Amino acid sequence: MSSTTAARSTEVTVELRVNGRTYPARLDSTTTLLDALRDELHLTGTKKGCDQGACGACTVLRDGKRIVSCLTLAAQCDGSEITTIEGLADDGVPHPVQEAFVRHDALQCGYCTAGQVMSAVALLREGRAHTDDEIREFMSGNLCRCAAYPNIVAAIREVADS
Amino acid sequence: MTTTLTKQSLLGRPIDRIDGRRKVAGAAPYPSDFDLPGQAHAALVSSTIANGRITRIDRSAAEAAPGVLLVLTRDNAPAVADPPMSNLGSTMRWYFRDDRILHYGQHIGIVVAGTRAQAQAAARLVEVEYAAEEPVLDLDDPRATIEENPYGLDSSRGDAAAALDAADVTVDSTYTIGAEINSPMGLFTTVASWQGGRLVVHDTTQFPSMVRASLAAMFGVPERDVRVLIPFLGGGFGAGLRLWSHTVLTTMAARELDRPVKLVLTRPQMFSSTGHRAASRQRMRLGATQDGRLVAIDHDAVAANGIGDMLPAPIEMGTPMAYACDNVATHERRAHLNIAFTGFMRAPGSVELHFALESALDELAGKLGIDPVELRLRNYAEVHPESGKPWSSKALRECLTVGADRFGWSGRDPSPRSTRDGDLLVGQGMAEASFDFYAQPCTVRLSVDRGGNALVRTGATDIGTGTYTITAQLTADLLGIEVDQVRVELGDTDLPPAPQSGGSGLAGALGAAVKDAAAALGERLARLDGRPGETIASLLDRHGLDELSATGHSDLPAAAATTDLAVAGPFAATFAEVGVDEELGVVRVRRLVSVIDGGRLYNEKTARSQIIGGTVMGIGAALLEEAAYDPHTGRVANGTFGDYLMAVNADVPDLDITFVGGPDAFNPVGTKGLGEIGIVAVAPAIANAVHHATGRRIRDLPITLDKLL
Ligand code: FES
Ligand code: FES
Repeated sequence: MSSTTAARSTEVTVELRVNGRTYPARLDSTTTLLDALRDELHLTGTKKGCDQGACGACTVLRDGKRIVSCLTLAAQCDGSEITTIEGLADDGVPHPVQEAFVRHDALQCGYCTAGQVMSAVALLREGRAHTDDEIREFMSGNLCRCAAYPNIVAAIREVADS
Repeated sequence: MTTTLTKQSLLGRPIDRIDGRRKVAGAAPYPSDFDLPGQAHAALVSSTIANGRITRIDRSAAEAAPGVLLVLTRDNAPAVADPPMSNLGSTMRWYFRDDRILHYGQHIGIVVAGTRAQAQAAARLVEVEYAAEEPVLDLDDPRATIEENPYGLDSSRGDAAAALDAADVTVDSTYTIGAEINSPMGLFTTVASWQGGRLVVHDTTQFPSMVRASLAAMFGVPERDVRVLIPFLGGGFGAGLRLWSHTVLTTMAARELDRPVKLVLTRPQMFSSTGHRAASRQRMRLGATQDGRLVAIDHDAVAANGIGDMLPAPIEMGTPMAYACDNVATHERRAHLNIAFTGFMRAPGSVELHFALESALDELAGKLGIDPVELRLRNYAEVHPESGKPWSSKALRECLTVGADRFGWSGRDPSPRSTRDGDLLVGQGMAEASFDFYAQPCTVRLSVDRGGNALVRTGATDIGTGTYTITAQLTADLLGIEVDQVRVELGDTDLPPAPQSGGSGLAGALGAAVKDAAAALGERLARLDGRPGETIASLLDRHGLDELSATGHSDLPAAAATTDLAVAGPFAATFAEVGVDEELGVVRVRRLVSVIDGGRLYNEKTARSQIIGGTVMGIGAALLEEAAYDPHTGRVANGTFGDYLMAVNADVPDLDITFVGGPDAFNPVGTKGLGEIGIVAVAPAIANAVHHATGRRIRDLPITLDKLL
């Protein structure tokens, strides 16, 4: 069921660098990055939708690249720079993707939104948002049961074009 | 009051969702985001068989595991009373009342430990022995207990049997739909704490007042001593309309331990713990004259139900109202199976009915050689077919004509297999939809303060539909202030009582209550002798008042019982174009046009989002979604997000959504609910388009490639 199995585990010391801050932590070696972020660092903006790598709700950036944090062990992130939804705003000013999501109503319940926004930021950084089809394809790892999909595409396109 | 009519109406304007900023910042708190001081963590023990009895449970290994604080099973759990019936006609069957196993994944116990990992590890150490029997999983299984007319949906007008016999042309077809799982993205969570005899629960629910009443009854405390909090939920689509056993177990564990306990369901547990759309089979018989007048509709439906469970699947409810037809009969049956308890899922009953009815009408149109849009217009119910009363609003004709226009329907060659695009067969199909009016009473408290700001408080939830936003928008409109001067508090049963977010009933009831509150407040303000053009702020200031409050109430069901109007819900028409690769059997929706009569819109932007959401879920229902049961264990074999297919971004075609119609004459604000209507006509429109493309009539959802090859 859960990715944190009871199989022989050991405690490890890791230094997590998240949103520019350093958090020293003693964790079970099997702790996922997602659980470490939410339970240890109390950064609950990143969501758990499946814990199995299948929905994208837990997407964060590791060294600028998007990863699903539920399939990443926290211990593997020692020395990496992690960016979560809480770290996107610049001095309190929301990231353009966040603004565009609000304007285009690219969210409903908002549960998948952190993951969608982080994926969108990664997509834009990689310069892969040339066409709507490209955006749709790249964003298809992020489930949205409310199906804000067309508005997500419109929001990303707007940022890509600006 | 002089202040209200000075501005142009805010209603309908596509303003941004007022909670959008918090949501994109990851700052909106969902139940799983709450942690309480001293909290322990829980994990569930679930059955691995679907039918039989528990013969022995051994808790000892789990109890001895590291960090474990409590293991509760039926052997050591305290007794609880039965929960009351909700206004939706459902109640929860308490699993611990006996030793029976009714479905796979049934909760057998709850394990509480210091950490989640410890609780989950220990849950696997609870040993359960069963006397297992073969599960009954199929609607056609002769061992299934069939209940006739359990919820009173059998009905008859005229003489359908005789009219079918005498009809010029008939259709007699059977349609099946597999079980679909609501699958909101938010994992259902309960965080329960007893604070000096008072229970406070953060619980994923669309129906906080029902959870409060249920827990109060089960644990024997007054309702005022139970507080349910749910400011944000990660979607529901109906999954949050029942009390589920994990909520009770977590509450019980918190009481036993006298400390807060938190339980977050896993995704596989969501597939068997929070309801689903029951599998169904419908026989639809239509009789018509040669010129396409419907003379008979006979609708017989059987839907699955959990064993020992009570929950209506209102498939037959809308049949008598759909078309002008003198002879209509409906027959309701439920088959009790070893499946997880069913629930409500977006447009429950209406989705099933319209798949059958609108597919059958397409078959009839083909037999008669009449255009499918024209056939629907010929049988248009100008007045309510049962009561003969005029509708409070009905712009379904515009839905059909505007939709046909926008889609370019008139250029369609009606013969199947007539259009190709490269290797693809292209087909176009349409369907119409209605969703019955539903509402429950609602109360709000409205306050204005000297700063000119307003506060609206009610115990409703915003499940993503935009309740916060439209409440603020309506309040601002009524008070003549800006939307950002209105604060809205929801999701707390200590606030004035509100109904569930469900049945497309909340927005209408809440809006009517807000309007009532604003009128009451207006009267109080009028007594303060406002000067022309004076703002509320200056009026209060002049009288040395800090704030002024009023309570507003709506009881739309009572009003509906006495009105001379037939109270209408929303209407829709959907037109779809598909491309079918015959070699591979793959269907893709290429474009889709939906035209919606939702009455007066509160907010064009959030309204559109509701329709988009319903439409995309409808595409999933048409082509992808189905829970597959393992025949031996009764397990949902595809019960993960990797295996249960739902529409993703790349599955969404070009969508064209238009709203038509004016304010509803019954609702005080003129609105009709929009949460469900968007899904209803999508699957039949797609199925009809697949028939047009291929000549193959698929009467079984989802339309997967094996059915086309
Ligand atoms: S929670 Fe990580 S992909 Fe679903
Ligand atoms: S906004 Fe609800 S799941 Fe995406």
